[in-house]
Amino acid sequence: MTALLNVPARKIIATISNAAERWRDADFPARVRATQRIAERTGYSIPVVEYALDRLFFSIDRSSLEAVIAGELGEVEILDGFRPRPGRTDAWACPIGNVCVISSRTTIGVALPAALFALCAKCDVLVKDREDSLIASFFETLREELAEFAQAARAEPWSSHDENAPALDSFDAVVAFGQTETLATIRDGLTPETRFIGFGPRASAGYVSRESLSASGAAAEVARGAARDIVLYETEGCLSLHVLFVEDGGAVSAAGFSQTLQDEIARANIEFPRGEPASGRLAQAAHARALGAFRNASDENAPSEPPPFMPRLSHAIPVANPADALEYLSRHGLALEGFALADSRPDVVAMAVTAGAVRITRFGELQSPPLAGEHGGRPRIAEFVRWTDKTF
Amino acid sequence: MNDGYRAEADALDAEILTAIQACRVPDFNDLALRIFAHQLRYNKPYARYCSSLEITPARMPDSWDTIPPVPAGAFKEAALCTFDPSQAFLTFETSGTSSGARGKHHLEDSSLYDASLLGSFEQYFLQGAGTIFRFLLFVPHVRGSRQSSLGYMMDRAASCFGDGQEQWFIKGHTLIVPGFVAAARVATDENVPVILAGTAFSFVALLDDLRERGIASLPLPAGSKIMETGGFKGRTRILSPVELYQDLSTVFAIPKSLIIAEYGMTELLSQYYDRSGEEPRTKAGPPWLRSYAVDENGKQLLPGTVGALVHVDLANRSSCVAIQTEDLGAVFEDGGLVLIGRERGAESRGCSLDAEALRAVS
Repeated sequence: MTALLNVPARKIIATISNAAERWRDADFPARVRATQRIAERTGYSIPVVEYALDRLFFSIDRSSLEAVIAGELGEVEILDGFRPRPGRTDAWACPIGNVCVISSRTTIGVALPAALFALCAKCDVLVKDREDSLIASFFETLREELAEFAQAARAEPWSSHDENAPALDSFDAVVAFGQTETLATIRDGLTPETRFIGFGPRASAGYVSRESLSASGAAAEVARGAARDIVLYETEGCLSLHVLFVEDGGAVSAAGFSQTLQDEIARANIEFPRGEPASGRLAQAAHARALGAFRNASDENAPSEPPPFMPRLSHAIPVANPADALEYLSRHGLALEGFALADSRPDVVAMAVTAGAVRITRFGELQSPPLAGEHGGRPRIAEFVRWTDKTF
Repeated sequence: MNDGYRAEADALDAEILTAIQACRVPDFNDLALRIFAHQLRYNKPYARYCSSLEITPARMPDSWDTIPPVPAGAFKEAALCTFDPSQAFLTFETSGTSSGARGKHHLEDSSLYDASLLGSFEQYFLQGAGTIFRFLLFVPHVRGSRQSSLGYMMDRAASCFGDGQEQWFIKGHTLIVPGFVAAARVATDENVPVILAGTAFSFVALLDDLRERGIASLPLPAGSKIMETGGFKGRTRILSPVELYQDLSTVFAIPKSLIIAEYGMTELLSQYYDRSGEEPRTKAGPPWLRSYAVDENGKQLLPGTVGALVHVDLANRSSCVAIQTEDLGAVFEDGGLVLIGRERGAESRGCSLDAEALRAVS
C-alpha cells in the first residue's frame, strides 16, 4: 500500500498546484536558495535559472494536471477507485507502486513533472536529486501542504557507485533521463517486471520557410525567437535549437537571415547572460564558432557535418525544400524532441512529423513545453498506473 | 597562375626557407603579414572568410596575432590553398570524422615542409646529437598512406638522420609486433641507437601486445629515444601520459627525459616538441612558429591563460598562415606552450585515428 493511496486524487492535485504556486514567487525563500544552488551546479546565469524555474512552476497548475489525467485515463476519479467506462469494463487506475526517477545532470527540474504525475497516480516516489536539491526542496513544500507527502515523496542525491544507493530492481517503475549508455546500463539492471521509462538524448530543430522571409521585419521576429531557443540553457537541453534550416527563395536571403540571427543572439545574450563557461569545452566551442563564421562566409554547399552542439551557437543550413532538411536529419540520425516553425505550411509540418519530432511549436517557444503536452512522445501518467478491471 | 603569383610565391618561399635554415626569423611580424597579404590575394576561401571579418587588403591586421585564424575544420570544407589544388605536389589528409569527411592540406611543393620538419626535428628532438639512428616506426608507412603527414614526416626524418634500415610496423590495420621485437633485438646486438616513433595509442597497443607475449623488458641500445606523436584522447579511451611514459621507460630502458612528445597537426607544416628535462613538460617550437590562446569568442588571452590554441606557421605559405585548433592549452611569454589536450569529442587528428582503428580491429 502506498502512502497516498487513500488521499483523493483531486486533493493530491490541489496540493501540488498550491506548492507550485508558492514556488512561482521569485522571493519564496526555498526558491531563492535553490536558484543559487542551481546556478552553482549548472554554471548558468541567474536570469537563465529564474527563467527555467518560472517556466517549470507556472506550468504546474490544477487545470493542466487534471486535463492530462482526464485525457490519458478518462477521468481523475478513476485514480480513487472503480469507475464505469463507456463501452468498457469498470476499472481502477491503481498506483503501480514504488517509482524511482533518475534525473539528468544538465537540465533544471526535468525529473519534477515525472515525479509529480507518479504522485498523482498515488505512487511512492524516490527521486535521485542533483546537488542543488531542487526536487528535495519542492517536496519539502509539498510536505508543508500535506503531511502524507512525507512518506510518498523523497529525493536524495546518490552515486551509482555508492554502497547505499537504492537497488533499482526493487522498484516497480524506473524513470531515467540521461545518455544512451547510462539508460542501457540502468535498464539492464532491472527485472523484467520493472517498468522502465527512459528518456535518452534528443535534439531540436527549426525550419524557416521562404514565406517567413518575405520581409525583413518578419524575418527579424523569427530570428528573435530562434535566438532565444538557442541561447537558453547554453544550447544543452533537448529543447534547445541545435540545427536551423533556412529555406532558399525568400526576399531575405539565407545569409541575410543568418546575420540577423547573429544580431538577435547578441541581444538574447544580454537578456540571458552567459554563466560560467565550461572550460572543458572551451576550445571546441571557440573552434565551432569560428567554423560557423567560415561557413557563413563561404559559398560552398550546405555543411554536411552534424550539429556542433556548442553553447549559444547557431547551426544554420540553407535548404531548397523540406526534403533537404529531412535528408540531413536522417543522415545524422538525430532523435528529435522539438521542431520550431515560423508558420504552419503543411509540407513543413509533415516533414517535422516524419523526422520524428514529438513537439511542433513556434520559434521562441521551444523552451517552454506545456505540462499538458507529452514529453519525449510518451504519456505523462499512464505509465505509473496498473489497471484493475472489474467485471461483476 | 600568373607570373605575378609565381614570382611572389617564389620570393616568399625563398625568404621563409632562408629563415628556417638559419633558424632565425629577423622580423616575424613583417613576414607573417606579407604571407597573409599574399594569401588574401590568392587563397579565395580564406579571403572570403577574412572579408566577412572585415579584413581585406585595404584593411590589413597590424600584427601577426591579429591575422584571422582559419578554423582547422574548414580544411574539410574548402580547398584552402593559394594555387590550383589539382596541381598540388602533396596533399595530406586529416583522420576523418564521424561523417567520414577528411580535411585536405594541399602543398604546392615540399621544400618548406621538408625544411621545417627536419630543422625542428634536429634541433628539438635530436638536439643536435649528430648520432645516426635506426628508425623503428609505429606510424603509417608513407608508401601505403601517402596522405599521412606523419608518415611523410617520419620518412623524411629517417632519410636524413637514419642508418638506412628504418622499418615500419603498421601494415594496413595491423601492428607487426613480432617483427618489431626482432628488429629491436638486432639493433641492440648491433648497438645502434633507435628512434622509436608512434602515436600514443599505438604505443599502448604495443605495450599491451608485448605484455600478452610475456615480454616485460625489451631494452633498446643506449642513446635511443622515443617520439610520441599525440593521440592520448581518442575515440575509445583516455590515456595518461605519465603512465604511458613510465611503461615505455621501463620496457625499453629509456630514461623518461628521452621520451619526447611531438605536437603537430595535418594543417600545420611545423611542430612543437617537449622541452627536454622539464617537468611538468612544456613545449618549444621553432622561431617560424608562434602561438597564442583565445577564449570561446576568439579573443586573445593573456600569456599563461588556458584557452583554445591558435598557431601562426610561416611554413604554411601556400595554405593559411594562421590556424585555430580544437586543442586546449596555454602559451607563455617565452613562446613555450603547454598542451592540455584535445578535448573529448573533438576529432582525432594526425594519425591517431589510424592506430585506434587498428586496435579496434586487432
